Amino acid sequence: MINIFERKQKGDGVFFNKIIDKRFKVNRFAVYFHTNFDELPRPDYSTAAYILSDCCAKYPSHALMARRASELYDASIVSNTTFGQWNNRCTLLASSIIDNRYALNGENLEAEICALMRECILNPNAKNGTFDETATALMRAELIDTIDSVINDKNVYAAYKANQTVFAGEPMELPVNGTHKEAELVTPASAFAAYQRILKTARIEIFAAGSSDFTAAEEILCSMFSDIERGNIAKLSAKPSPLKAQTARVTDTFPMQQAILRMCFKAPDLDDRDAVTMLSLILGILTTSRFFQNIREKQSLCYYCSCSPNKNQRTLTAYAGVEPHNLKRTEEAILAELEDIQKNGVTEDEIEKARLDIRNQTNSIYDSAGSLINWYGNQIVFGEFLSPEEQAERFCKVNAARIQEAARQFKLDTVYSLSGEGLQ
Amino acid sequence: MIEKIYSSVIKETCLKYTSPSGVKVFMLPMEGYSSAVAQFSAKFGSQDNSFSVNGKDFINVPDGTAHYLEHKLFESEERDAFSLFAQTGAVCNAGTSFDYTQYYFSCTNNFKKNLEILLDFVQEPYFTAENVEKERGIIGQEITMYRDNPGWRVFTNLLEGLYSVNPVRNDIAGTVESIAEITENTLYDCYNAYYNPSNMYLCVAGNFDPDEVISVCETHLKSRAPLDIIPGTFSEPLRVNQHRTVLQMPVAKPIFEIGFKLPSEVNHESFENYVYYNILFDIIFGNTSDFFEKMRHDGLLNEEFSVGVFSGRGHIFPFARGESPDPDAVLHEIQRELDAFKTAPPSREEFERIKRATYGSMVRDYNDVDSVAGTLSGAALEGANPFVSINTAAGASYDKLIKKLLTLDENNAAISIVSKENV
Repeated sequence: MINIFERKQKGDGVFFNKIIDKRFKVNRFAVYFHTNFDELPRPDYSTAAYILSDCCAKYPSHALMARRASELYDASIVSNTTFGQWNNRCTLLASSIIDNRYALNGENLEAEICALMRECILNPNAKNGTFDETATALMRAELIDTIDSVINDKNVYAAYKANQTVFAGEPMELPVNGTHKEAELVTPASAFAAYQRILKTARIEIFAAGSSDFTAAEEILCSMFSDIERGNIAKLSAKPSPLKAQTARVTDTFPMQQAILRMCFKAPDLDDRDAVTMLSLILGILTTSRFFQNIREKQSLCYYCSCSPNKNQRTLTAYAGVEPHNLKRTEEAILAELEDIQKNGVTEDEIEKARLDIRNQTNSIYDSAGSLINWYGNQIVFGEFLSPEEQAERFCKVNAARIQEAARQFKLDTVYSLSGEGLQ
Repeated sequence: MIEKIYSSVIKETCLKYTSPSGVKVFMLPMEGYSSAVAQFSAKFGSQDNSFSVNGKDFINVPDGTAHYLEHKLFESEERDAFSLFAQTGAVCNAGTSFDYTQYYFSCTNNFKKNLEILLDFVQEPYFTAENVEKERGIIGQEITMYRDNPGWRVFTNLLEGLYSVNPVRNDIAGTVESIAEITENTLYDCYNAYYNPSNMYLCVAGNFDPDEVISVCETHLKSRAPLDIIPGTFSEPLRVNQHRTVLQMPVAKPIFEIGFKLPSEVNHESFENYVYYNILFDIIFGNTSDFFEKMRHDGLLNEEFSVGVFSGRGHIFPFARGESPDPDAVLHEIQRELDAFKTAPPSREEFERIKRATYGSMVRDYNDVDSVAGTLSGAALEGANPFVSINTAAGASYDKLIKKLLTLDENNAAISIVSKENV
């Protein structure tokens, strides 16, 4: 496989990453600002992120900005704030646009979209040290809607509520966007102050992926930060979530028909990340997994029962949607499956199926520029950049003993259930 | 005989082939890609709940039968299809829509073997009283899961509001009560009627060898005599069934979906209608419109707002959806705006801008293997040219758009609301 990834340092804490592959008809660009959580309220950061893609000094309203994007053949320009992989905050401005080959009038679309991103970052809709008042009011309202809408999706709501216990005392205990009450206090000046802190202290990772050679992107996007006085650059490091001395149990009720069960296991001392990936495939992700075959197919307990690992926090979360009266049975069934692997290990047949799946998954990453950006973006903290193919080889070297050892290290930290009060 | 269908707009060639069995095959190889996706579809969805085969008596089946059949087809006497795909590393799944059922896999290796598994398991039903019974609990849980989803409920209530008798108004998975009536015989009746090769399509996109597809089709697709399937008829009134539906559920802000029932002459799926009404609604209500800007400033809409067109066999309607503290006011403003546009239509400049954006969004679809396979299947199920959407978008005319605008009756609308309070 040809190496398609290239990375350069372009300034203090500023890196440019490009991924070139001629198969793509669309080019993608992303500027990630990684910052640590600090004393400034979370909604100030989130409001600033919202404003970045909504408007800028040159296109000072959402409609004007959207019209510019539609002139560029339905280019997308989005921004948001999420938890980064390492318990940090990640503010993202991203765009995508069709490749110059498909422009009907020979436009240089790559240069046009990168220039628009540059406008958003360097010349936001702000004056005299504050964001525009109207833009702030609109984005504050949007943020409050986003915070409140957590109840609209019961799975998201269950995860949000469970995290308050699972990650008590850690940044992920609270939502990345803060609370409704905090968001009401956002002002044009407070959001702008948060944005300034982002510009000055963030570890900045710029990505370009697609079929272009990205000469224009590198020139336009990387020169942006040279005039900004930067220092105290955020340090990124993986922080395992500590295991509770005693398993926490929380039950909430909500007007819904189905109950949701979430069980979080933690292994703070487990370094073997590749074994965790294989374990989670065999335990709950594959359609041949223990959960799917034994809990769904044999016991008909639920429509879905799966698990999800977080290799940096070193957690493994099992989740299922079940009849309220089956909560206890499902919890016992999940525990029994993990205990069986802890005690008896996994079979060679199970490992082979996981290997086949992982090869398929990693090869598929090459077909999506967005997936490639995520793939390499998730490795920045390790300083070692493996291609999907190289990582697949590592996964495939994991043997039964390593998987069993990984399973043994996971201990039950939290059992959370969201149970229905009934709904017609 | 392979027919080559070329689009000068997207500069791609689709290969069309009818296998000796009667299954129509559409293939679009994508240079440089790692994965391949194959979708094997039967023109049988949740709306096909009444039918006659070769002039015999009509058979009525319970709501949710197509979806139930989809679940059960994965099982065979020896082992389920999931375990066969697990031996190749492919990802496989299936989905049931209102008007079709689709079985598919995605893989980066073992393409030929995967295609053989796909074609074999879909052609080998194994329904017993015992295995049909076992599935009832799982599907019951799936139905319950969707009933807790406000986004799904607001949509299905809109369908009930728009249509009086069109079976698209019934939930795809049925209800816990309706699936209780499904037996192995119900499934065989439907399978024998609708999973006939003449009613099935195979679409493949990505990294594969077309000759290999043809060879597998010739050895694995079974021939069966074509059947004359007559669907049950219904006479759907022109006017909407119910203008307003409200459901109480815990949501942060009321969510709504508004649909406009189209006159009967356009009330069928057509890619032309799909493309034109999309462009039209995007111009009038999309995120570049003055309408959206004003409604957002007035606090009536937020970024969740979107417009589009929902279409399938026997139904098509433009829609607007989002969240608002006052959904009724949004409906009122939308109706007013539509009426205003009829007397002062959008400018040619606006039309050209949105047309270009629509073209751009369709080019994006050809960037992704799954999307390409989906586009091929969508066109195949309607017997259309595989590039019909992008060709129509690139060649859209202003005058035709204005004609489409004038066919819309802004008062023939239904609104579905989900709110935590009774509004």
